[in-house]
Amino acid sequence: MQAKTFHTALLTGNEAIAAGAYKAGVRVATGYPGTPSSEILPYLARFNNAIVNWSINEKTALEIAIGASIGYKRSMFTTKHVGLNVASDPFMTLALTGVRGGIVIITADDPAMHSSQNEQDNRFYSKFAKVPMFEPSDSNECFKFTDEAFEVSESFDTPVIIRMTTRISHSKSVVHIEPVYLPNMNLNSENKNNSYLKEKIYIKDIEKFVMAPVYARKRHKIAIERLKKLQEFSNNSGINRIEYNSLDFGIITSGVSYQYVKEIAPFASVLKLSFSYPVPDLLIKEFVKRVKSVIIVEELEPFIQNEISSIGINLKGKEIFNRFGELTPDMVKEGLINAGFIKKYDNKSSGKLLSKGGLSELDNLLKKLPQRLPALCSGCPHTSIFYALKKLKVPVMGDIGCYTLGALPPLNAMDSCISMGLAFGAAQGLSLSNSSPKKIAGIMGDSTFFHSGITSLIDAKYNNACFTAIILDNSTTAMTGGQDHPGTGKNLSPGQVMSNKIDIKRVVEGIGIDEIYTIDPYDYNAVYKTLKKALSSKNLNVIITKRPCILYPVKIDLGKKFKILEGCNGCGLCMQTGCPSILNSGKFLDNNKPVPFIDSSCIGCSICKDICVFNFIEEIKS
Amino acid sequence: MDAQNILVCGIGGQGVVLAGKIISNAAYGKGFDVKTSEVHGMSQRGGSVSTHIRFGEKVFSPLIPGQSADIILSFDIYETLRYARDFADKKTLIISSNYGKIPLWASARENDGISIAEITGTLKINFDKLLTVNKKETAMALGNVRVANIILLGLLSKFTDIEEDFWLKAIQDSVPEKTKEINIKAFLIGRNEK
Repeated sequence: MQAKTFHTALLTGNEAIAAGAYKAGVRVATGYPGTPSSEILPYLARFNNAIVNWSINEKTALEIAIGASIGYKRSMFTTKHVGLNVASDPFMTLALTGVRGGIVIITADDPAMHSSQNEQDNRFYSKFAKVPMFEPSDSNECFKFTDEAFEVSESFDTPVIIRMTTRISHSKSVVHIEPVYLPNMNLNSENKNNSYLKEKIYIKDIEKFVMAPVYARKRHKIAIERLKKLQEFSNNSGINRIEYNSLDFGIITSGVSYQYVKEIAPFASVLKLSFSYPVPDLLIKEFVKRVKSVIIVEELEPFIQNEISSIGINLKGKEIFNRFGELTPDMVKEGLINAGFIKKYDNKSSGKLLSKGGLSELDNLLKKLPQRLPALCSGCPHTSIFYALKKLKVPVMGDIGCYTLGALPPLNAMDSCISMGLAFGAAQGLSLSNSSPKKIAGIMGDSTFFHSGITSLIDAKYNNACFTAIILDNSTTAMTGGQDHPGTGKNLSPGQVMSNKIDIKRVVEGIGIDEIYTIDPYDYNAVYKTLKKALSSKNLNVIITKRPCILYPVKIDLGKKFKILEGCNGCGLCMQTGCPSILNSGKFLDNNKPVPFIDSSCIGCSICKDICVFNFIEEIKS
Repeated sequence: MDAQNILVCGIGGQGVVLAGKIISNAAYGKGFDVKTSEVHGMSQRGGSVSTHIRFGEKVFSPLIPGQSADIILSFDIYETLRYARDFADKKTLIISSNYGKIPLWASARENDGISIAEITGTLKINFDKLLTVNKKETAMALGNVRVANIILLGLLSKFTDIEEDFWLKAIQDSVPEKTKEINIKAFLIGRNEK
């Protein structure tokens, strides 16, 4: 019989984080959806072992995790990078109190901004708060480090950050994992061998958890002392490791950059930082002493570079690599060529790079290829309101969600998108500036309204602000993949919350706003008329559009199809909706205008029919 | 052996992520080390989408280096142009739909336009192994136009050293229960094509 069989699974980084948290016996897991972090909680919910739920926003999510920890339970909070800004208030002081049950915070950064409004480097939060940080570089490490992070959290009495990036969260790789740590609905036994699961009775400890100045001053000193012990761990635990190869070339790296380095420069010695704050000063000193020429390869900010420079060692990093965007294998290669680590022609793919200059016909053609911007879906209930707003030419303070796409051509009907829940505050401020003769509109989705729109609407009412607040209620958090929120009546953990479903209109009424319009966004004429009326009134008023998202929770096809009639004059109004089902038929009128064509992806929302003032769009009767 | 690099591209909503999942599961089933990389979120809304799949004895980077794809599988010919430029070299096998879709508002802005024939012509000059196919009708005959891209995946499978059993299991593990049969049928049509 074999002593041990190796079990593996092919998992994304996010799935591996969830499996690691399950292995560690996490009991409460919370978060707010945000790319690239959104898949962790749904995967964890499949284990049936913990309370796993979406929270109204990141601050509340972390506060729930803190409460669970005070109650001796292991808890986890997941967020995208900007979400940690929202939760930073409890986070910064949690760093002082420390924990009872371990707290692990997953922050998923988005270098290159695939689906984000900025590309802040959240590694700085670990230094800012004096909190230790893991940086996994593949799914296997996501699994291992999450389990270990809970141990570190409890042994050092501190919250722990696991810093992910899009290429770790959304890459799959092979994980060494026992089947018992994979979700299987029939096999959800609890990990009874974990001692911390023993029920403990709550007792209070105000010196630890009441951060009034008198106690906070003591705890701050403890947090600083803690850093020294964490640095010992960083040096000695073996989690940060040196892979010696050539003693001429050395690279210090972390996260996905490690993989690019191994791919491009397998000959180099590598100091891989997996526990990258506090940095392992002794290991770094040893590495730099033994290896002749050492550089730093890291994505985004010079975080490691600054830390190393603060222990008196100056190495090159951001002098060679970009401080913005993602790294790629090719960029690492180019950097290593510039650093003199590899010669231009010394490996197999460099010849291919040279051929780049020889593809001029391709390049010429590519210049003509229209940029394919993301767009609202065919039949998206957000389309009509933006089309109408564009016609009314009012300033629109926007927000974050699918509807941010209303800012892009051809709709061009949103003037700002900065942070979650910004719209109503910014609409109040813009109206106070008296710089627009027209009334201001503020627009956000239902999930964003719950996240952080409610407070600014209360502020607007209380301070007599005058603008039109539009809430696009599609009954889901669509952009991130259709997660639940307080208005959907469901959540990840089973349990009936339908009866607790929060009605947006009643919330608005509760604030004391009287002028509320609820409309169906598929009725374009009603949308236009209501907007016009609301925008001419001198009151703070609210428009709620109600229609489910066509993708989540179920795909919707109304079963109607539309066609363009003979005689269409090519005026182009229908294409100004940006609907992806309205294509170029390939036919052109005498005035060179293209004749539109509605393809089979149409789901029958009928907005284009209402918009066509010449009545050249008709439903196909079968 | 060097890592095999397969890049799947298209427009959000076409099943690029699903195709990537099937390929990676098949390679993993055979016992290769596998890495994939994909993008979620905003780009999925009708934007240009790609998935990188790499497999071999040991794979480091989840991203395919420039000009290093062994196979590009594309569900939209406009995207073929975009990704071939960055990831193909002369010997890359390119399997592409011979049709593509650009919304009218975007195409109407271009004065000089761009025709599919022009794209195909230029691709042919630059790349030795270009296969442009249209499997919409075959898919419709099977009962769902959406499986056209699975036929293309069947075609691709012939050019890998992953045996049929691993592919079939990967499809069964990756698609919803009620579409298993039609997806397997579609895959085999592509795989058995001469």
